[in-house]
Amino acid sequence: MSTYRTVGKPIARVEGVHKVTGRSVYTADIQLPAMLHCKLLHSPHAHARIKGIDTTKARVLEGVERVVTAADLPKFEPRRMSNRAYNLLADGEVIFHGQPVAAVLARDAATAEEALELIEVEYEELPTVLDPIEAMREDAPLARRPVSEIDRAEARGHATVEVEEKASERPSNVASQVKFTRGDIEQGFAEADVVIERTWRSAIVHQGYIEPHATVADYDAASGELTIWTGTQGQFFVRDQVSNILRIPETKIRVIGLELGGGFGGKISLNQPLVAVLARMVGRPVKLVFTRSDDLTSATPSPQCVVELKTGMKKDGSLTAIKAKIVYDSGAFPGAPAAVGAILIGGSYNFPNLEIESYEVLTNKVSVGAYRAPGAHNVAFAIESQLDMMARELERDPLEVRLKNAVGKGDEMPSKARYPSIGLKECLEAIRDTEVWKSRGQQREASLPIRQAAGKPATTGKLRGVGMAAGGWGGGLQPASAHVELNGDGTITVVVGANDITGTNTSFAQIAAEELNVPLEMVNVVTGDTRTAPFAGMTGGSKTVFTVGRAVKAAAEDVRQQLFAIAAERLEANPEDDLESVDGEIRVKGSPDKSISFRRLAGITTGFGAPYAPVIGRGAISARQQAPGFTAQAAEVEVDPETGEVTVLRWATAQDAGFAINPLSVAGQMQGGTTQGMGIALWEEMVYDEHGRLLNPGLLDYRMPTALDVPEIETHIVEVPSEEGPYGARGVGEPSIVPGPAVISNAIEDAIGVRVTEVPITPERILRALGKI
Amino acid sequence: MATAQKRVVHYTVNGRPYEAYIEPNRTLLEVVRDELRLTGAKEGCGTGDCGACSMIVNGRLVTSCLMLAPQADGAEITTIEGLAQDSRLHPVQQAFIEKGAVQCGFCIPGMILAGKALLDRNPHPTEREIREAIAGNLCRCTGYTKMVEAIAAAAEATT
Ligand code: FES
Ligand code: FES
Repeated sequence: MSTYRTVGKPIARVEGVHKVTGRSVYTADIQLPAMLHCKLLHSPHAHARIKGIDTTKARVLEGVERVVTAADLPKFEPRRMSNRAYNLLADGEVIFHGQPVAAVLARDAATAEEALELIEVEYEELPTVLDPIEAMREDAPLARRPVSEIDRAEARGHATVEVEEKASERPSNVASQVKFTRGDIEQGFAEADVVIERTWRSAIVHQGYIEPHATVADYDAASGELTIWTGTQGQFFVRDQVSNILRIPETKIRVIGLELGGGFGGKISLNQPLVAVLARMVGRPVKLVFTRSDDLTSATPSPQCVVELKTGMKKDGSLTAIKAKIVYDSGAFPGAPAAVGAILIGGSYNFPNLEIESYEVLTNKVSVGAYRAPGAHNVAFAIESQLDMMARELERDPLEVRLKNAVGKGDEMPSKARYPSIGLKECLEAIRDTEVWKSRGQQREASLPIRQAAGKPATTGKLRGVGMAAGGWGGGLQPASAHVELNGDGTITVVVGANDITGTNTSFAQIAAEELNVPLEMVNVVTGDTRTAPFAGMTGGSKTVFTVGRAVKAAAEDVRQQLFAIAAERLEANPEDDLESVDGEIRVKGSPDKSISFRRLAGITTGFGAPYAPVIGRGAISARQQAPGFTAQAAEVEVDPETGEVTVLRWATAQDAGFAINPLSVAGQMQGGTTQGMGIALWEEMVYDEHGRLLNPGLLDYRMPTALDVPEIETHIVEVPSEEGPYGARGVGEPSIVPGPAVISNAIEDAIGVRVTEVPITPERILRALGKI
Repeated sequence: MATAQKRVVHYTVNGRPYEAYIEPNRTLLEVVRDELRLTGAKEGCGTGDCGACSMIVNGRLVTSCLMLAPQADGAEITTIEGLAQDSRLHPVQQAFIEKGAVQCGFCIPGMILAGKALLDRNPHPTEREIREAIAGNLCRCTGYTKMVEAIAAAAEATT
């Protein structure tokens, strides 16, 4: 059992107090002297040629400072244009509904809004491709001018995938494709006792962060310095991107990552380059805050996906083969996770034979981005539903079937990489022991005789069912660094460059306190901006504690060694064997009277005339070994076959955290992701009309789960240590969102005996599956 | 906004008198954030669907993005900035920290005010009543479980 003193304990967030008193500063709260407010004109068409833009009327409106179109902006090499970041404003052609076409700068937001209506754009509508399957046909019109080279800098931050997607050679809407094979697929199906083939569809969903995108930028022409205040998951990413686009050296750019009102992968960089360009044009601060409708229409949601899946199983429950064709609708720019999806669909269970193809297809819809385990829920819905269907045919327990085939350390992924230590089986076992799962079948059996006696068919009256599913996420890798310093009073400051969203700084404080064996209260963690902080990758890919935490640990160890060296000299002891750090003192083991306090050590390393160098620990790590995180979840639902209404009654989530540095925040992550999975399963969908226009750009119609929609979520933290993570920790942010759609789909089938193959599973889809409409 | 006739409005916000000279079509949320510079209340949607802008106006929880500023003229308003007394957090604030109910924090001001408004009228709510009271406040980070626990714990702590 662990002998740790601080890590592994549930700790309330050290910085939580600012968030409960309203003192935390988010980007929209920033107000600067002479600041201009920006609003964007979004394209009303999904695909059209821009024949002309007349800004005359808008420009003369009182309070308007500037109206900007692509004609006023810098131009980039054609190969850059495959990257949405370089498409600051649409130039000559719009390729999705909501694409920014013009920007207004005015003295206040209302005036800017008013001016938008005075901009006259002449469009010539072009044929649209909206359905990704149709877009793949040889004769399909092109969604956009062909993409030559594809810039994937951002997508790489979330998942480290060691395969190269193959870019298409011929002009087509297929931006990339990947194929994995293993064994003999035909032979595999021949050996199977049951083969199931279905097509699974999942909708475009939005990350749904409650804070819409916001950025403030200021440019000082005299010094050439650009400052950006923004909510981002990756301030260094923003700095690098803005530097490339504006051609300003990074020494002149300061990105201040403010408090972030939720990101989930969707807040890396979006408007930051444009706002920076605008600030440079006017030499004044510019603020752009998206409305909810702007955000739903033109940010970067999670892709629609179609999975054609064929799987085989033997009577004894062992899997024989998987054949899958996965199509992600990437929208108007590349960025959909085709390779990740291909690995995940065949990655949780050992299939002796496999053939998996995955495509990233361009259409005239908003381009997609990352959303918590990007691409994973789409494929998990397919495979985890189909596992249940095969188990049902063979009258086997669906959880035992999973256990029998689950991957473990050393097993091969479809990409041929081998798993390091993982905890899928342990998660499944944890779910097997939950009350939710153990109650499976009881409801049904209890109610069945009563129903039969009453002569009622199985499709009247509310019916309950229990379902389960699993899922995983490989996790991102990125180098990271941190500083740990001894302050003048003997307290400790940790400096990192990773933007804290959910309490990672508390985990860093725990790590530093653990390594130095000091009370948590002695440690303060600061997130610096890009001008002051040591480098860290974006807060994404479930890797912040996993990588930056390791850097903090290394920096704290460095501090301990420096303190020991000084103390050893002062106390005339041998640094290797004799010293220990206890409660803010370095002591000689066995002789507690021979000690020197951190405060005294600070004095002799920082004071006037002090003899020793300041104590500054440095931690810089490379990250090479992924630590995939798995989860298994079970839920009980109640379905009303008259209305198709589904109520989620109970939910249990088990997840392998490797080692939970702060179990309180690990549980919070698990509950949050689980709830998002429920949202995908039951309610959320961005709906487009036949012209490619978003029909529900508001939170009334884009329906996210409320406190009344979801039950209490019970959490079971599983700890199978990772090889590289601090104390064995692995990434925890992403996995919990993955199984939701399959859990619900399986529970619904358990309740009413029909299978819905498309999420969200709306009442209408249930009634259709029941043959009632 | 060039045209609308400006007018003066008076509020008592967190016990202090405020006055603002504003266009009458501005919302209470805009005036409190932009004119009074109390930015604890957030805008998550502007259409009354997320609750991030919640304030307590004359004892009732309102979504201030839907209320026109003049409608609240003369009102007693509590925003998140007014909950803590000196250095003492309100029990709901305290419980949110202790129970780990705070992640990104954007929904938190509205959520805590919703919790406080509930406990003011119903000091011993059931889990169901807590969920109903915060159903107009969306949180995307937490899945609500820890928030419900926090409000229940605050109810215990106050009795
Ligand atoms: S901002 Fe007022 S309810 Fe969303
Ligand atoms: S804590 Fe992020 S939205 Fe609630």
